[in-house]
Amino acid sequence: MYLNYLANISRYIPELLLVVLMVGIIILETTYKEDDKNKKYVFITAFIGLVATFVSLMINLSGKSESIFSGSMIIDPFSTVMKMVMVLGALGCFYLSTISSEIYESLKTEFIIMATGILIGGMILASANNMLMMYIGIETLSIISYVMASLKKNDERSSEAGLKYALYGGVSSGIMLFGMSHIFGAIGTIQFSGMAAIVSKLSHNQLLVLLPSFVLFFVGIGYKVAAVPFHMWSPDVYEGSPTPVTTFFAIVPKLAGISALVRVTMIFFSFQSPLRVGWVGLMMAIAALTMTVGNVTAIGQKSVKRMLAYSSISHAGIMIAALTTVNQIGISAVVFYGITYLFMTLVAFYITSIVQDNYGNDHFERFQGLAYRYPFMAIMMAIVMFSLTGLPPLAGFVAKFNIISALVESRYYTLAMVLVLNSVVSAYYYLKIVRLMTLKNQESDEEIEGFGFLNQLIIVSMTVPVIVLGIFWNGIMAVASGAKIFIQ
Amino acid sequence: MSIYYYLSAFLFCLGLLGITFKKDLISMLLCLELMLGGVALLFILFSKATGFIDAQLMVIFMMIISACEVAIGLSLIIALYRKKQTIYTNDIKILTE
Repeated sequence: MYLNYLANISRYIPELLLVVLMVGIIILETTYKEDDKNKKYVFITAFIGLVATFVSLMINLSGKSESIFSGSMIIDPFSTVMKMVMVLGALGCFYLSTISSEIYESLKTEFIIMATGILIGGMILASANNMLMMYIGIETLSIISYVMASLKKNDERSSEAGLKYALYGGVSSGIMLFGMSHIFGAIGTIQFSGMAAIVSKLSHNQLLVLLPSFVLFFVGIGYKVAAVPFHMWSPDVYEGSPTPVTTFFAIVPKLAGISALVRVTMIFFSFQSPLRVGWVGLMMAIAALTMTVGNVTAIGQKSVKRMLAYSSISHAGIMIAALTTVNQIGISAVVFYGITYLFMTLVAFYITSIVQDNYGNDHFERFQGLAYRYPFMAIMMAIVMFSLTGLPPLAGFVAKFNIISALVESRYYTLAMVLVLNSVVSAYYYLKIVRLMTLKNQESDEEIEGFGFLNQLIIVSMTVPVIVLGIFWNGIMAVASGAKIFIQ
Repeated sequence: MSIYYYLSAFLFCLGLLGITFKKDLISMLLCLELMLGGVALLFILFSKATGFIDAQLMVIFMMIISACEVAIGLSLIIALYRKKQTIYTNDIKILTE
């Protein structure tokens, strides 16, 4: 028994490394004086820690899938790949936090500590295999997010964003627990593994109880993913929080939520049952709504950050759409989409953050004439915008193509049509930035401080995958299609 | 047994209604606790009915986590109060202008 636990810990090293990193940074920070500006060792430690986590995740990827800690967590290729994407996202956000002026100097280490905490929560959520673990994952993710959203202490918008997030989060997790309690009442266990067998034996009435419970259960995850009926918090929080925090929220909690949703869908609904019909119908409606509402609302926005927030809502909708297929093709498409979404979002937010730091706000006009002042950065931004729209030969196109082909293969033609039409709508607001950058004269000649050589290099190195994945997607696609869900 | 079910459902709905219609943040936070309390009761009830103790484990974790949530919520309310001198939601709306 104890030996079993010890053996399990070897599969759990990435999470443990992050915990050590978090505690280590807390201790390291106390060695600095209050007004010490130069905290570079903290960042170096954080980078080393994340890289070590990434490497240990890669080692984990080659091992066999198994459930650990008495079946409360599952280590399978899917969760490991999603965790790797999350770690990369966190790595990008850490660097952005060091160069952003929106996070006060004294709070920069705090950002890293909290982001590591959220990352741990996301990793728990990605491999949760019972309801308790899922709840703990969601709450670890959420509770630290509330604080992180209000990191800009002197800005009342930031405080309000945090409070709003806390209240919405509390309500949605309450509703989720209400659903979970009913699922437990009908099934009699909180373990996901083996639930499928019990579900198939249930009587008609019990199934009738289960479907509404699953809908309530979805509220909790849907809120984390910002799926449409529960998306109201997302634009406010994204706009109110400092930009590095927004970047982090757009990547880590979202992908964690998506991976939890994938696991729930695959475990409970991968076999034919009346439940599956209901759940797939629900997912379809929510995916279509999420895409459409996100895109249509993004059109009218003045702030680039708020626009990107709405666009990230619509991207979540696209990922949910792929889930409706409930098969491995759909899951691979989701994983591939997650990987491309990571790079596209990072570049878009990096450039927005740097422009915003310089001008003090992030309205669309601030991008005017960027192509004449910083042609290279403007090209990168344009590439990312084209990719987010889904134009070939960029990564966004391949990602969307995978999802559409998965949908067509399952004969969900309507949803595929909605997805294509939404891509057309999204072209309007994405290309608006490209138009402003190239066609308008710039407002002022002043240099943008953030576009130093190093930052430009980092932005370019993050844009390279967006181009490369659009042409040579085979390698990553192989990883994505190897990302199988492990069901006991 | 069913009277407990109605009680916990009532508590849950009361909390949900309260958090929707109340206008001051402290009451909203209290309603949130009421909601979670209702769910905890429900978990215990189902645990008794089905005879599996998994759900009781869940209740303990719920209590811990909801305590954390309220602590964070209160501190956020204080942070906002310091700037706006109010805890009424009508006076706070900045982001949704």
